[in-house]
Amino acid sequence: MAAPMELSCWGGDWGLPSLHPESLTVMAYAKFAGAPLIVNTINNSWRAPKGDIPVLVSKDTVISQPAKILNFLRKQKYNADYELSAKQGADTLAYIALLEEKLLPALLHTFWIEAENYCSVTKPWFASRIAFPLSLYLPGKMSREALNRILLTKGGPPLYTLTEVEAQIYRDAKECLNLLSKRLGTSQFFFRDTPTTLDAFVFGFLAPIYKVCFPRIQLQEHLKQLPNLCRFCDDILTCYFRLTVSGHSPAGQDTADANLQKLTQLVNKESNLIEKMDDNLRRSPQHPPRKLTTLKLAAGGEESSPMSRLSP
Amino acid sequence: ATLCFQAFLQMCNLPIRVICRANAEYMSPSGKLPFIHVGNQVVSELGPIVQFVKAKGHSLSDGLDEVQKAEMKAYMELVNNMLLTAELYLQWCDDVTVEEITHPRYGSPYPWPLNRILSYQKQWEVKRKMKAIGWAGKTLEQVLEDVDQCCHALSQRLGTQPYFFNKQPTELDALVFGHLFTILTTQLITDELSEKVKNYSNLTAFCRRIEQQYFEGHEKESSTIAARSAKKSLLR
Repeated sequence: MAAPMELSCWGGDWGLPSLHPESLTVMAYAKFAGAPLIVNTINNSWRAPKGDIPVLVSKDTVISQPAKILNFLRKQKYNADYELSAKQGADTLAYIALLEEKLLPALLHTFWIEAENYCSVTKPWFASRIAFPLSLYLPGKMSREALNRILLTKGGPPLYTLTEVEAQIYRDAKECLNLLSKRLGTSQFFFRDTPTTLDAFVFGFLAPIYKVCFPRIQLQEHLKQLPNLCRFCDDILTCYFRLTVSGHSPAGQDTADANLQKLTQLVNKESNLIEKMDDNLRRSPQHPPRKLTTLKLAAGGEESSPMSRLSP
Repeated sequence: ATLCFQAFLQMCNLPIRVICRANAEYMSPSGKLPFIHVGNQVVSELGPIVQFVKAKGHSLSDGLDEVQKAEMKAYMELVNNMLLTAELYLQWCDDVTVEEITHPRYGSPYPWPLNRILSYQKQWEVKRKMKAIGWAGKTLEQVLEDVDQCCHALSQRLGTQPYFFNKQPTELDALVFGHLFTILTTQLITDELSEKVKNYSNLTAFCRRIEQQYFEGHEKESSTIAARSAKKSLLR
């Protein structure tokens, strides 16, 4: 338990700690279970990403897939599912299968295959975080793998063209989002009041769709029509990811800070103004209770002098 | 897989006849087996068949509320994801099984060398798919562990109820029955897969109950013999 655990994963943007669904799932689970992970986001250094990301390294053990990483964390006694009943554990497996079969293909398509999205957002973003010359090769490889996966799992007959496959996978993804929304209902998390493995997986898959600004966003538009899922993502982001990952402030935190600063400045200005007015009133020639009559008599003069004193 | 359909259609009280053909894969509109031929229409795969049957006015899941329907779909995906992939892995990626059982069976309707060519082609296709979804690196033990996890989840969900959604059978029951019955009754090199399922007594009881209720009521010989030979010659 005491051995430090390091997680290597893709970094984040647009208010997310990571853009990569699997990395995000593992990070979320670690937060829920209270596991002390040292997160190293892949940046433009020569330590090239080896194999599948995310990768957890603890002493001599190297583990690479999210399910295996979560199993390892559970064995280290960081278990977010401790209070679940056996049936709820079974439901978790089932819903994760649903996410992988129905939602993941559309997610991969939005990121890696949709031409506009890939060229204007995904490829530059990932390339900027990989060292040259690997940055020329790796994003293309990830895109080809995504296409391969979609075609092999979903592209059998009678769907022969890529457009038909695309239509099918987006239909499936929208249906999956609807099902998740119905299952979540009005609760804060999927099982009771504490987040579990299922919440980590759902968050990992939904948050990139929700937050990343792509040119082609049909899935995001559909998601935004399901307010309980949006609220679910926002809640997790504010409650568990407010403290930043490896010193890198997410954009959301910045705007919150900026707003706070502006508000403070406004309040300070107001109080300064009030103080000044107070001062002026005190410094102005003392008027005995006859003030009213003198005011009436010298209305123009009286009014103009405080104004002239206030203006810089 | 044939059994899932038979079970589903029996549960809807729709009479069916099972026919075996060597070129069945080519007759099917999607290339996948089995398919049903009703009047002028031919429909294949569980999803479209369920919708077709629903359009004709028979549905097993009308009594479920929205959350239960979501659960049912999730469990069906779990079965497809884990059990189906494990069955495919065992048939096509485990060398011993491939050599001794799958190649002969798959190529049996064809003369040499077509039988070897077709079965190698199919094997290559399946291996590509396994690689794409990340199962290529799995050993047989890991696959069996996944099957165990899946059966554990199904067993927990079933509990002591007669069907997954209490009193009435649904598409999920048909699907689970089809897969589990196939695993329990198909002869492989080792019995490890069926042993995994047998560990869960409520699942074996579930299979027996559905077999008795829906398959023995009808002409036992023709339906079960047809089902068994359908399994043998129409491998996916």
